[in-house]
Amino acid sequence: MIARAAALDRRIALALALGALALGLLLPHVLYVGLATDIVIWALFAAAFDLLLGYTGLLSFGHAMFFGGASYVAGLLILRAHWSFFPAVAAAVLAATAIAALVGAIAIRRQGIYFAMITLAFGQMLYFLANQFGDWTGGQDGLQNVQRPTLIAGIRLDNDTLLYYIALAAAVLGVASVLRVVNSPFGRVLSAIRENEPRATSLGYRTSAYKLVAFVLSGALAGLAGALFVIAHRFTSLDTLDWHTSGEVVIMTVLGGIGTVFGPLFGAPFYLIINDRLSTLTTSPGLVLGIIFIIVVSVFRRGMIGELVYALRRRRHVEHVAPGA
Amino acid sequence: MKRAVVAIGAFVLCTSMTAAMPAPAGAENPVIIAVVNDQSKVYADLSGQGTVAAVHMAVEDYGGAVLGRSIKVLSVDHQNDPALGANKAHELYEQDHVDAIFDVPTSSVALAVAGVAGADHKILFVTTGGTDALNMGQCNKYTFHYGYDTYALAQNTGKLITEQGGKRWYMITANYAFGQSMLANFSNAVKSAGGEVIHNDMVPFPNTDFSSYLINAQAMNPQVIGLMNAGDDTVNAMKQINEFGIKKRMEVGIGLLFESDIAALGPDYWSGSTITVGSYWNLDDKTRAWAARYKKRTGKMPTWVMMGNYSAVTQYLDAVARAKTDDADAVVKQLEGYKFEDVFARHAYIRAQDHLLIHDMYVAKIKPASQVKEPYDFLQIVKTVPGEDSYRPLSAVTCHL
Repeated sequence: MIARAAALDRRIALALALGALALGLLLPHVLYVGLATDIVIWALFAAAFDLLLGYTGLLSFGHAMFFGGASYVAGLLILRAHWSFFPAVAAAVLAATAIAALVGAIAIRRQGIYFAMITLAFGQMLYFLANQFGDWTGGQDGLQNVQRPTLIAGIRLDNDTLLYYIALAAAVLGVASVLRVVNSPFGRVLSAIRENEPRATSLGYRTSAYKLVAFVLSGALAGLAGALFVIAHRFTSLDTLDWHTSGEVVIMTVLGGIGTVFGPLFGAPFYLIINDRLSTLTTSPGLVLGIIFIIVVSVFRRGMIGELVYALRRRRHVEHVAPGA
Repeated sequence: MKRAVVAIGAFVLCTSMTAAMPAPAGAENPVIIAVVNDQSKVYADLSGQGTVAAVHMAVEDYGGAVLGRSIKVLSVDHQNDPALGANKAHELYEQDHVDAIFDVPTSSVALAVAGVAGADHKILFVTTGGTDALNMGQCNKYTFHYGYDTYALAQNTGKLITEQGGKRWYMITANYAFGQSMLANFSNAVKSAGGEVIHNDMVPFPNTDFSSYLINAQAMNPQVIGLMNAGDDTVNAMKQINEFGIKKRMEVGIGLLFESDIAALGPDYWSGSTITVGSYWNLDDKTRAWAARYKKRTGKMPTWVMMGNYSAVTQYLDAVARAKTDDADAVVKQLEGYKFEDVFARHAYIRAQDHLLIHDMYVAKIKPASQVKEPYDFLQIVKTVPGEDSYRPLSAVTCHL
């Protein structure tokens, strides 16, 4: 029974992975490429967030600090030191990792709402620091006119479509690493911590170490998304560090389905496309998105992909169990 | 299973429906302009839908066509989000074949959109966005700064109050790029007019409680309190200035204030303070006639930036007509150095070196409610300052187009 369930899960995962990849390859042909790039970046960000929320049970309200922090680091390195793509992105991811290690070491000592509040506080602190050091960060005006870096010697990333596929490749790598983590023994321990932390502790796991590693991994991948953001947009601003950004990634993850990895990959395009279209169609996009969010939370509590996975699993379960029962 | 199907179905429906919505441009090949501004958040009253109406009015007044082609107006809500604003601007230029974008409040969004205009080689008129970075360090060939900038506000308000005897200034500055740039500009203006800044408080942004700064200010007994902030910060500070009874003893110089802010609190809160505006609906017969038409159309009175957008669209269409094409480079050539007069811009020209509109600015005192005779009649214009004296002199321009 368990083996069968695992095989089913693998099949669902494979189908969802192929679906997400197909969506990724299709996007720039049906949507304007700038929006498509944004979708890929946010999908990566949301998947990284889901690693922490869905698989470790930690609701961070300060993930903007990794996303925005990395975008500033990459932006400054490209703007002031003319670094090329790979070194700038690597440095930004390292910076996000460092921030995550520092903040995580303090935040994971608390749980639930206190954890959320500590991460929120650190996120806002970084926001105000960035505002304060306006000579470096441009303050409220943001970091503008960040030229696209060179990819490798001689090739500049000026072509939007090329940049899209690079962002897609980075996102695929990022999501693959999230999948690898959640399906590893390490990931099992994370799930155990999510379900019942005292029990995991009593089994001999140092849960705080596991939680810290999950926090840092999630922060690093969010940083990767942030670095891609500044390169794609040629600028970054305080908004990437604002708590709204942390909130948006929560919404995308919840819309897609918490604890599914693939859910956020569909939640992000859903949120971004609707937001993008509504900004042309109505004067109150927040109202419409809010209503959609309320409906999802109250009717499809598992999120879009979450409901699908749940339904497939249950149907299979009924087919196998019902005749004999 | 049913729930899942409904969930996925709703997702696909929502997405595809909204994705398919904007109709592509027809075969008739119209000239397309777009308004990109805040239509749902803090600057919605100041510009928002009001500007969209003013732009439609400009197009109709122009006859609805230029070069024998019809004129189409699009509008986008940027929600004060630079990423959304820049994305939409790029999409408008590249996919919707928009020829020019107008308005763009919020400095960070305006700068981001200016970056897109520069990269896409398409025209942008920033009217409501005030940061002087748009015509200084981050200027570009395709961006026009049309209406006012932080330098002009400081130059006019700061200088006039100081010349009228307000020599000792106590500054309260919002600690972010806009506030800092206002402070620097105001300090220079005050000093050059023979005054001094006796103290400055850097206040976190945004802020709701100004009492500690105001108590300190009372102790230092300045002649003028300078509010180097904008929007809600200014409103909050002004409320407390009233509560402390400071207004009776000192003058208040306000960095940036619009009619919509005055209407929100009521003129009595603001009365006696000095501001600078780029135009005013009750300036003369021309502006009054325009405002009457605007009011008939929308049921509301215009802010002066709406008038500015009307003027920007009119001048853009005129430049297209003169260039006999909507090709951006040709239109830029027509705009550079062009001298004109219209309902908004007086003794005006677009300076070729930094694409800044040089026009008359007005220093005004806010009237108490008892002197307000008709709705929205808030301002007493005390001085008209020629553009040459209002804006940064050519010798100090650092822009390289």
